[in-house]
Amino acid sequence: MKPILKKGSALIIFAAMLTHEAAAFCGFYVSKADGTLKNKTSQVIIVRDGNRNVITMYNDFKGNLKDFAMVVPVPVVLQKKDIKVVEQQIFTTLNEYSKPRLVEYYDQNPCNKYEDETQKSLSGKVPGITIRGMASMKAENKDLGVKIEAKYLVGEYDILILSAKESTGLKTWLEENGYKIPAGADEVLEPYIKSNLKFFVVKVNEAEKKKLPGDFLRPIQINFSSPKFMLPIRLGMANADGDQDMIVYAFTKKGRIEATNYRTVSLPTAKNIPLFVKNNFENFYANLFQNQWSKEGKAIAMLEYAWDVSPKNFVKCDPCVSTAPSTQDLVQAGVWWVNRDWNDYTDVDQQEEDYSDNVYFTRLHIRYNRKSFPQDLQFQTTPNTENYQARYIVTHPATGDFSCEAGKKYLKQLKERRTDELEMLTYLTGKNYSDWDVVGENVEEKFIPTEASYNSVASIVAKTPGKENGILYTTLGVLGLISFVGLRQRNKKQ
Amino acid sequence: MQKHKLSIDPRYFQVIFQAIFLFYGIFYLHWNADWLHYIISIGGCLLFQYAADSIQTKRFLKPNEFDRWGFSVLISAMSLCLLLKTNFWYISLLATFLTVISKYIFKVNKKHIFNPSAFGIVATIYFTNNAWLSPGQWGSNTVILFGAITLGTIVVTRVQKLDVSLAFLFTFIGLLYWRQVYVLGWPIDFFIHSLSTGSLLLFTFFMISDPRTSPNHPVARILWAVLIAVAAFYLAVFKWKYNTLIWVLVLAAPLVPLFDKIFKSKIFEWGLTPNPSPGGEGSLPPLNLIKQQNNF
Repeated sequence: MKPILKKGSALIIFAAMLTHEAAAFCGFYVSKADGTLKNKTSQVIIVRDGNRNVITMYNDFKGNLKDFAMVVPVPVVLQKKDIKVVEQQIFTTLNEYSKPRLVEYYDQNPCNKYEDETQKSLSGKVPGITIRGMASMKAENKDLGVKIEAKYLVGEYDILILSAKESTGLKTWLEENGYKIPAGADEVLEPYIKSNLKFFVVKVNEAEKKKLPGDFLRPIQINFSSPKFMLPIRLGMANADGDQDMIVYAFTKKGRIEATNYRTVSLPTAKNIPLFVKNNFENFYANLFQNQWSKEGKAIAMLEYAWDVSPKNFVKCDPCVSTAPSTQDLVQAGVWWVNRDWNDYTDVDQQEEDYSDNVYFTRLHIRYNRKSFPQDLQFQTTPNTENYQARYIVTHPATGDFSCEAGKKYLKQLKERRTDELEMLTYLTGKNYSDWDVVGENVEEKFIPTEASYNSVASIVAKTPGKENGILYTTLGVLGLISFVGLRQRNKKQ
Repeated sequence: MQKHKLSIDPRYFQVIFQAIFLFYGIFYLHWNADWLHYIISIGGCLLFQYAADSIQTKRFLKPNEFDRWGFSVLISAMSLCLLLKTNFWYISLLATFLTVISKYIFKVNKKHIFNPSAFGIVATIYFTNNAWLSPGQWGSNTVILFGAITLGTIVVTRVQKLDVSLAFLFTFIGLLYWRQVYVLGWPIDFFIHSLSTGSLLLFTFFMISDPRTSPNHPVARILWAVLIAVAAFYLAVFKWKYNTLIWVLVLAAPLVPLFDKIFKSKIFEWGLTPNPSPGGEGSLPPLNLIKQQNNF
């Protein structure tokens, strides 16, 4: 296997977001001093109902903490009570619960008569992600016009809320105060300023940080009202030439969220794939995502999970790869309407129409770059409550003696199934059997006849031609024919 | 009917093009194809239309009269397939009912007020809260396909009422450019991305252009199109609403009779103009016209 995506697990910088106007809110990471900031996978939790937004941003920042700084555009000047620091655990919980999963099934030997209902599920892992270095750049000095709207100390963070009159001033101000601004940030700072956005600037307060255990940064959660439902990824894209990943965990009352200015695509799911993938599901999924993302034209949001996680819904996944988020987890994630204290109405929005405690969860995976994503991500909540999960199936062959009639039939079917599995593998990941070098490690292969092994099946699998295009062309052909016949009929009539 | 000989009913092409869009969405853009919704949308529209027209004419219409009663509603049905999403079959059915019934209930001077499918979609979303539109469903890479097909439609049908579409499109694009590039200073690809969604072209050439629901007089049509563009732009950009085009089209529809009163002109009928427009959804021409047309 040549893991195209596993280029090392570098740093993950993140930028998160939200917005208003044309603005948005994935910030960029700015480095104080000259620490080299590398890559990015962002994780963001968005909770949205009516105009109220709770956004939690997670930085898997692995550099020197005192170098960490983040700038996020926000639509309003946030009050201290609107900013919170939450435990990192919530992201782990949500990720484990919603990531793409591998399911294992076991064949029974048709020559044996006993039943063996073994079926277990195995957790897949979120793939390693390509990570790129972030360039830093110097700006020219000019007039400033930057105003500090507010200044807070929240948890281990020093937070400033800035407003600016023009981008050069903002840039200069940041640089003079020791922040490094990434190249390409200019092109978006100006539109954000003109859209009247404020800038939420975060850095680590070293004294406060020392009081806490561990050398990681806790996620920051902000709470505000804005009609616009979006994530400003543009600012986070200042690093122009690399792909960046973002996982969005969204909670609404009504149903799924989807992007409104990009296509939202669900991954092919419930596909049977070869058994040997089990040893390297992480790599399989990394390739699958990359391949499907390219095939779909890159400018897409990929749906990885969608489920009703309301406290009253007992089936929160099927199969579950980890425990579903509890009510406490939901509260931690910012879902303010569960476990509500009905003695305290300060939390209740006057305009809120729906007082239920429904919670619908959507996980989107967005791989973005400057070229394919000229605009910030905008979302809408839909009433779509259909559950979805990215789920892949491997099947263990039966073992033992296959000399009975049914056994021979089974072997034949096994061969056919494995042919399909290999074709599916190629379709999903764009990789062939020969690209995987982990096959030999699979012990079970030794217990079945060689003719049914993947190795021998692979030799008969021809390269599959583009099936889908076939369908498209056939459709167009049929439509053309109908039009042609229809036209002739009409001409005759006239 | 001499002149009619060379031109083919533009609605015929329209159905074909809509079918191409639908199959493109399903097989190429991998929509979660909801076949039940498609079947109900088409079946329901045809059924309700057939029933309504049969009741109106007090006889059972014959299959070979399909051109007269079925074509326009088929276009509406295709619009429902292309645009509306729902998880429930009865909501699909409700949408078809609202689409058809709007043509009979809301009528001024032999003209129905609302674009039938636009009304059906908006009313279904508003009243049920269980249906939605996906403005992002076409993505941004489809503009070439859409452009080609739209151009094809125009060429094929030798449009007369392209004025509505163009007035709308230029106003809307102009306003967006002014806001996004001139005022806010976004790079040009930001602006192009806004335009390259299939939804805009689909609306421009297949919905607002409906000659049966736009004002009769050319000047009134242009004013009306500009008004829709301005209102939709304002709501989208300053009020952060989605799908404003279709909502504004429905909300602005009651103004059409007013425009018709101020600017007097002949009512459009399918098949009666030498070069009919490509766009939109018409309805069954009045009975006396059917009889005349049967003569060719």
